[in-house]
Amino acid sequence: MSKRLIIFPRMGNSYIAFKTYIKNIGDIPVVPRPLNKEILELGVKYAPEGICFPFKVLLGQYLDTFEKLKIGKDKKVYILCLGGYGPCRFGYYNALHEKILKELGYKNFEIVTVEWINGPLIKGLPKFIKMVFKLIGFNAPWNIIRGFINAAYKLIAIDDVEKKAYKIMPRELNRGDTEKAFSEALKIIDEAPYNNLKKIKEAHIKALNVLKEVEIDEVKEVLKVGIIGEVYMLLDYDNNREIEKKLSYMGVETDRSLTTTTWADDRIIHVKRHKKHMMEIVKPYLGEFIGGDGQESIMNTILYKEKGYDGVVHILPFGCLPELVAKEILVKVSKDIDMPVLTFTLDEQTGEAGLITRLEAFVDLIEKRKEILIRKN
Amino acid sequence: MTIGIPRALYYYIYYPMWEKFFKELNIKIALSPKTNKKILDLGINYSIDEICISIKLFHGHVKYLIDQGVDYVFIPRVLYEENHKSNCPKLLALPDLIKDSFDIQDSKILSPKIYLNYGSKKSREEMKKIGEIFVKDEKKINKAIRESIRFQRLYESYLYKNYGDTLELYEKLSNLKILTKNEEDYDLKIGIVGFPYDIYESYLNGSLLEKLKKMGVKYIVSNMLYYDKINNSYDFLSKDLFWHQSNVCLKSGLYFLKNKKIDGVITLSCFGCGLSSIYTKLLDIFNEERTKKPLMHIVIDEHTGETGIITRLEAFIDLLRIKKGEGYV
Repeated sequence: MSKRLIIFPRMGNSYIAFKTYIKNIGDIPVVPRPLNKEILELGVKYAPEGICFPFKVLLGQYLDTFEKLKIGKDKKVYILCLGGYGPCRFGYYNALHEKILKELGYKNFEIVTVEWINGPLIKGLPKFIKMVFKLIGFNAPWNIIRGFINAAYKLIAIDDVEKKAYKIMPRELNRGDTEKAFSEALKIIDEAPYNNLKKIKEAHIKALNVLKEVEIDEVKEVLKVGIIGEVYMLLDYDNNREIEKKLSYMGVETDRSLTTTTWADDRIIHVKRHKKHMMEIVKPYLGEFIGGDGQESIMNTILYKEKGYDGVVHILPFGCLPELVAKEILVKVSKDIDMPVLTFTLDEQTGEAGLITRLEAFVDLIEKRKEILIRKN
Repeated sequence: MTIGIPRALYYYIYYPMWEKFFKELNIKIALSPKTNKKILDLGINYSIDEICISIKLFHGHVKYLIDQGVDYVFIPRVLYEENHKSNCPKLLALPDLIKDSFDIQDSKILSPKIYLNYGSKKSREEMKKIGEIFVKDEKKINKAIRESIRFQRLYESYLYKNYGDTLELYEKLSNLKILTKNEEDYDLKIGIVGFPYDIYESYLNGSLLEKLKKMGVKYIVSNMLYYDKINNSYDFLSKDLFWHQSNVCLKSGLYFLKNKKIDGVITLSCFGCGLSSIYTKLLDIFNEERTKKPLMHIVIDEHTGETGIITRLEAFIDLLRIKKGEGYV
C-alpha cells in the first residue's frame, strides 16, 4: 500500500506528537498552518452561521490545506479527527465537514472519525473495526504500538515544557527570554527522531534544560490565575489569542486546567473515575452531565479555589452549548465560593485591544483584592 | 398548594400529560400566562446575554410564577427521548440553571427526569417520586401516572392525525373526542420545521401560524408527523443528530422536501440555538443536491420585529403561488 496523506486539526503544539504517530505508521502527515485571518475567513465563509467557533477554524484549516497543497480533488487525502455522540456539537463536526467539503467540490477525501461505539454492538462494531483499520493502516502491530508510545512520550514532553514555561514566564528578568527558550525547546522535541524512544526521552531532558537557563527572579511574588473553558480554545494559542502569555507579561502565573495529556487521561483512559470524581464536586450546582467541558469548568473553578488561586479566567467559543450553561452557573459558584471569574466569549470578531483592557482590569482587581485580604488577616 | 408550570419549552410537548397527572392527584396547577413583554423582560434580566431566547423566556416564565407565590415550580429534566441519544446541554441543565439564577430552594423545584420517553419505566418511577410528595396513596399515584400517559398518547394520536396543531388542540384539551377535522380548501401546503417551543411561541415569531391561516395556506408542523414513520436517513445522513428534538426537525424537513404534496418549507429557529445551526445547513445541502424546493430559514431573537417576519412570509407565499401558476404577477 502506498503512503497516505493524512491531515489532522492543528491544536496548539500537539501537532508535534500527532506527526510522530503518523510517521510511525508509515504515512505522510500534513500539518495545517497556524490560524491566521485567511484561514478564519475561509472557515467563516462556508460554515453555517450559528455554529461554534472551533467548527469554523477546523473547516478553514482543511480548506486552506486543500487549496495550498492542491489535494482533495485529484490526490486522495485522509482527515483524522475525533468524533463523539453528544450532547456537545463536536461529535457532529466530521459529518457536517464532509458534507460541506463535498459541496465545495472536494470529492477525493475521506474523514476517519475516531470514536467509540454508540448504540447496539452488532451495528457499531463493524464500523468501529473499519475505523481502527483506517487509523492504524496496514502495519505490523509493533509499528503501531511504537507509534503510540513515541507519540505519547512527545505529548508528555510538550505538556511538561509548556507547564514549566508558563511557570517561569512571569518571573523572568529579561522580557522575551522564556518565549525564545520555549520555542527552542519545542524545536528540540519536534526534531527528535520519530522512531527512537531513547532519543525522544533525551530531547525531553534537553528541552527542560534549555528552560532552566532562563534567568528568573525566584522570590518574586506573583498572582496565580487558573484558566478554564472549552478544550480547543484552551489548547490552541491562536484561538485564545495567547492569553497565557498576555497574563504572564502582566506578572501573573497561569495554570491551564486542561492539557492534551490530562485530557486524554480523563476522557479516554480513566473516563469512569474522572466522571465520578467530577460529578461529586459539581453536584451542588449541576445535577447532570452536560457534555463538552462544561462540568470541568465548574469543577476546576472549585478546585482552583481549594488550591489557593487568586482568580479564574473562563474562555468559551461563541455559541458553545455546554460552556454557556457553565457560564450561567459560574455566576453563582463565583459568589458562593468567593472566587473572581472573568469570562471571555471569543469568536472571529473579537478584538485584541478589548481583550487586553479587560485582562488588565481583572488583574488589577484581583491584585487589590489580595492586598485587602492579606491586610484583613 | 399550587404547582407552577411555565408556559415554555417542554410545555409545548408534554403538557397534556402533566395536566392530567396533577388533576388526578387533585393538585392545583398555576400555568404562567402567554408570553408578553413583561415576561420577556424578566427573562432577559435574569439570564446571561448569550443564551438562546427560548431559555431566556423560560427564565421569565419561572420568575413570573415565583413572584405569584406558587409553592412549587415544575421543571422536568428531559435526559433523552430516543435510544442512544442525548439532549441539548441547556435543557439537560435546566433545573440547575433556574436554581442558580433565582436562588430558590432545591425542594421548591420539582424536576423529574424523563428518560427515553414519558412512558418508560424509569420515567414512571420519577413521576411516582413527585406524586409521593403530595399524596400518600400509592394506588392513586399509579392510577394518575397511567391515566396521564394514556391521555398524552390520545393527544398525540390526534396530533398525528392532523386534527389541528398543538395550540389548537391545547385549547380543546378537556374534550378532545368531539373534535372534527376541518377540511377547508387550500391551494398551498407548506411544511414548518422547528422546535415546538419556537413555532408555537406566537409572541416571538409574530404569530406565524395565524398569519399563514389568514393567507389561506395549509401547514404541517414538524411535530405533527409521526416520528417512527419519518425516521430514516434517506441515504443522505451518515450519522443521526444526537438530540431527539432536532432529529425530529431534520427528518421532518427531509420528509417535507421529498414529499411532492408539500410546496415549500419554512424553518424557524432562535438565534444562538446550536442544534438548529446544524440541521438547517443539512437541509440546505440536501435541497441543493436533490430536491430544489423553496426553503426559507427564519431566525428569531428578542429583537425580532413582527413586520420583518410578515414581509418575508408574504414574499415567500407569493413566490410559491407564482411558481404554482396562480400568482398575482
